Amino acid sequence: MALFNLPIATRKHLLNLGLCLALIWGVYDALMGPDLVSDLRDFTGRYGAYLLLISLLFTPLSQRWKWVKRHLAMRRNIGVWGFIYAALHVLIWIMLEFYYDWSLMLDEIAGNLFILLGILAFFLLLPLALTSTHKAIKYLGYRKWQLVHTLTYVAIPAVIAHHFMAQKTATLEPLLMGLVLFLVLVWRYRHVR
Amino acid sequence: MSVKSSEITPEKVYKRRRTLVAAGVGVLALPLLDSAYSLLTQEQESTNQMFEPLAALPDSQDLPLTPTAYDTVTGYNNYYEFGFGKEDPAQAEKTLITSPWSLEVGGEGADKPGVYDIADIKGEHAIENHLYRFRCVEAWSMVIPWNGIKLADVIKRAAPNSKAKFVRFTTINDAQQMPNADWAGGPYVESLTINEAMHPLTLLATGIYDQPLEQQNGAPIRLVVPWKYGFKYAKSIIKIELVETMPKTTWWLQNPREYGFYANVNPRFDHPRWSQATERVIGGLGRKPTLLYNGYAKQVAHLYPDLDNRLYFY
Repeated sequence: MALFNLPIATRKHLLNLGLCLALIWGVYDALMGPDLVSDLRDFTGRYGAYLLLISLLFTPLSQRWKWVKRHLAMRRNIGVWGFIYAALHVLIWIMLEFYYDWSLMLDEIAGNLFILLGILAFFLLLPLALTSTHKAIKYLGYRKWQLVHTLTYVAIPAVIAHHFMAQKTATLEPLLMGLVLFLVLVWRYRHVR
Repeated sequence: MSVKSSEITPEKVYKRRRTLVAAGVGVLALPLLDSAYSLLTQEQESTNQMFEPLAALPDSQDLPLTPTAYDTVTGYNNYYEFGFGKEDPAQAEKTLITSPWSLEVGGEGADKPGVYDIADIKGEHAIENHLYRFRCVEAWSMVIPWNGIKLADVIKRAAPNSKAKFVRFTTINDAQQMPNADWAGGPYVESLTINEAMHPLTLLATGIYDQPLEQQNGAPIRLVVPWKYGFKYAKSIIKIELVETMPKTTWWLQNPREYGFYANVNPRFDHPRWSQATERVIGGLGRKPTLLYNGYAKQVAHLYPDLDNRLYFY
C-alpha cells in the first residue's frame, strides 16, 4: 500500500491532520447533539485518554516489533495531541460546565477524588507538553529532560484512574485501559535505564 | 556492542525514574483504595454526619422553572435497553410496539388484580400536567412538563390490602423490540414504598409537552417521582405489583454500594465517586446547587422522619 511507502515525516503530517480533523468532527457532532457541553467534555476527555495511553505503548512495543520502532518518532505527536485534547477538556470544564464559577469548582475538586485526579494529571502533563520541543531537550540536557518526562508514568495513571471513576458503573473499557496501563508500568519498572 | 559512558544512566537518575514509575502504579490503584476506604467507613458516615435543620434550606418551590427544550428532553436519555450512550436511545430505530399495550396490576397486596389496556387507563383518569425538576444521579438535571395520571389512581383500582407495603415496577425486556435488551441489568425493576407510590406528586406519565411519550422517554407509560434520582423512574412499564417485602431493584443489584432503594435527592449525601452538591443543567451553561428532595421537601419530607439516616438518601 502506498501509505506504507511514505516517508515518516509525511506520515506524521497525516497523523496531525487526522487528529485535527477528528477534533473538528467531534465539535460538529457535539453541535448537532442535544447537549453540547457534555458531548464536548466527554469526547475530548475520552479521546485524550486514548491518545495518552497509546503514547505510552510505543516504548515497550518497539522492543518487540520493528514496525513500531520505525514509528517511534510519532510518539511525541500522539503525546502532544493527547495533551491538546486534555487541555480542551479542562477548558470546557472551566468555561462551559462551571461557567467560571471558581468557588463551586473548588468545592467540587475538594469533594471529589476523581476531579482532583484529573486536575493533578493536567498539571503534571503541562510541563511535559511545554518541554516537548527539540530546543527544550537541548536546553535541559537529555538526562534532566528524560527525568522530567518520566512524569508521564504518574500523569497517565492519574488520567486513567480519573476516566475509570467518571463512569456511572464499572464498564469494560476503562478497566481494560487500566489493565494495559498496569502492564506497561510493570514492564517500565523492570526495564528502566 | 560498546556503550558510551554518556549513555549509561547515573544510578541516582535511574532510581528516581523507578520511583516515579512505582508512584504511577500507586496512582492507578487509587480508585480501588478509595472504594475500599469508603466501604470501611460507610458505617461511621451514617451516624456521624451532621445536618443543618430543614428550615435553613432554600425554599425552592418559589423559584421559577424554565422547561428544558423538547428536542433536548427527547435527545438525551439513559435507556440502556436501547444502548449505553445518552444519544443512543433517541437514535435507535423505533422498534418498540407501544400500541396496544397492556399493563398488569397485581401482587399479593392487590385484592382486585387486573390487566388493563393503556388506552382504557388513560381514558378513565384525569390527565394532569406537571412541570417537574428532573435530577439524574449522574449530577445533571432538566425541567420537564409531564402529562400523566396519578399512580395512586391505578393502585386504588387494584384495591390494596394490608400486604401492600411496596410497589414493584417491571419494564419490558424484549430482544425483538430492544437492541440492547440483554444488558446486565435487565429486566429493569424499580420500586417505591406504598406511601411514596400513593403520594400525589407521583405520576404515571404518558406524555411530555402534550406529545405522547417517545420510545426513548419510556413510551407508552413510565414512572415519575420528582424527589428521587432519575433511575427510579421505571420506563415502558408492563407490570405493577403490590408486595409485602422490599423488592430488589435493578441498580441496587448492579452496585449496592452506590445505588440504594430510596435514592432521594440530597445535595449533602455524595455518591461514592462524585459530589451531589450541584447539578449540570442540560442544554444550558454552568451548574446550579442541588436541592434537598430535589426541591420537594415541603411535600415529601414527612415521609422520611429520620433525616440523619443515610439509608433514605442512597
